[in-house]
Amino acid sequence: MLRSPETRYALERYLQHETGATKVAIHAATALTAGAVQENWKIEAEMTGGSLAGRHLLVLRTDAPTRIAASLGRAEEYAVLCAARGAGVTVPEPLFCCSGTAALGRPFFIMQWAEGETSGAKLVRDECGAEQRGEIALSLARELATIHGIRPPRLDLAALGDPPADPAAERVALYRRWLDDFEDPHPVAEWALRWLAREKSAASEIVLLHGDFRTGNYLVGKKAPTAILDWEFANWGDPHEDIGWFCCKSWRFGAIDREAGGLAPRALFYRAYEEHARRTLDTKRLHYWEVMASLRWLLLALQQRERYLRGGERSLALALTGRRPAECEFEILRLIEAGTL
Amino acid sequence: MRDLPGGRELEMLALELEAERLGTLEGDDRRLVVAMIERARAIAKREAKAGEAALAPVRAALERLYGPGDPAEHFHRLTQDIRAGRFDPPTARRGEIRDLLWALTLQKLRESNPGFLRAHGLE
Repeated sequence: MLRSPETRYALERYLQHETGATKVAIHAATALTAGAVQENWKIEAEMTGGSLAGRHLLVLRTDAPTRIAASLGRAEEYAVLCAARGAGVTVPEPLFCCSGTAALGRPFFIMQWAEGETSGAKLVRDECGAEQRGEIALSLARELATIHGIRPPRLDLAALGDPPADPAAERVALYRRWLDDFEDPHPVAEWALRWLAREKSAASEIVLLHGDFRTGNYLVGKKAPTAILDWEFANWGDPHEDIGWFCCKSWRFGAIDREAGGLAPRALFYRAYEEHARRTLDTKRLHYWEVMASLRWLLLALQQRERYLRGGERSLALALTGRRPAECEFEILRLIEAGTL
Repeated sequence: MRDLPGGRELEMLALELEAERLGTLEGDDRRLVVAMIERARAIAKREAKAGEAALAPVRAALERLYGPGDPAEHFHRLTQDIRAGRFDPPTARRGEIRDLLWALTLQKLRESNPGFLRAHGLE
């Protein structure tokens, strides 16, 4: 997006208008590889005068050419980011949001750059010690509890829609619709949907969900997260859903025995979460939402594959994602059969 | 019954990527792409070696369920029947369907990610 001089110039003019600077110079704009769904750019900008005078590292976040189902638009994601920061969640400082297309041709928002490591694989490897991983897991549990402290109704989050009456039933209906988009049959996904429809129970409470809270979606400094990222799937729902997703085997990056995001045992994460949230987790619900998480991962992998098969994106990475569903199918069959975590 | 895209297609994509982009990459980006290319080729090789014979137990299970016929049609029918709840508990054939789903899933993993099975103490 920012490869052409014209677009960079347009961004300079936009920043000048938003900050009241007399001059804005973009010294560098680098596409970030992270973020399969959105396009992220690291920007080095220098502003003369105005509300952000000086040299800044910023991130510009905009839609990727192909948008994935169920992700928020940039203006909605920006509103969630602001709400999270207001509640005390560790996030990059949100700065400006442009919901129209006049400035750069696509909606986008800008936030401050945050330092840290985002690679899930690096975090779970032995080079990051057990003690450090444990500390990170505890901090993440507290971050998630803080996010779940945001409850409806919230005027600033009106774009998220009304809270669901029955989050599990709505997820089952949504995932069934997603499944119908694929031409090839997926019997294990159907098997999971039948089980999820039979076993669902009403949510005890409705809170703000990050919607994609997992290793790989936060930045980490020496011992603690420096930023929770990627809020595009935020929504209202059952708090157990975010925890199920965080502990889902697909997000352990091979460290399958460390159930909490490949970092620590799940019990440690649950305890820290319960203490901070002042909420008791329900193990039956956690098991239920972990089956749901594996199904969701399966469907997202298929959606990514569709970008290659039918979306015209000739990418080996996307094509290889099409061979990942069997891992989720294994987990679905195993969890349903075990009946517990 | 296998997940898409198939092994031959992955191999072609790997060849394209190697010819068109690998030479321009360095460091972590290059390592990432090399790993993807190797993974695609390994899947293609395992899938070709396993061939149709590897799916014979699944086809046999489908025949026991629906009688002789086109396995692809049977596979579609199985999926529709699961959705319709024909194998919900306490259906007598539920165990048979579960075994079929396990057999297919394990075979797909043998080809796509045998390391996943090893990590679970299988095979």
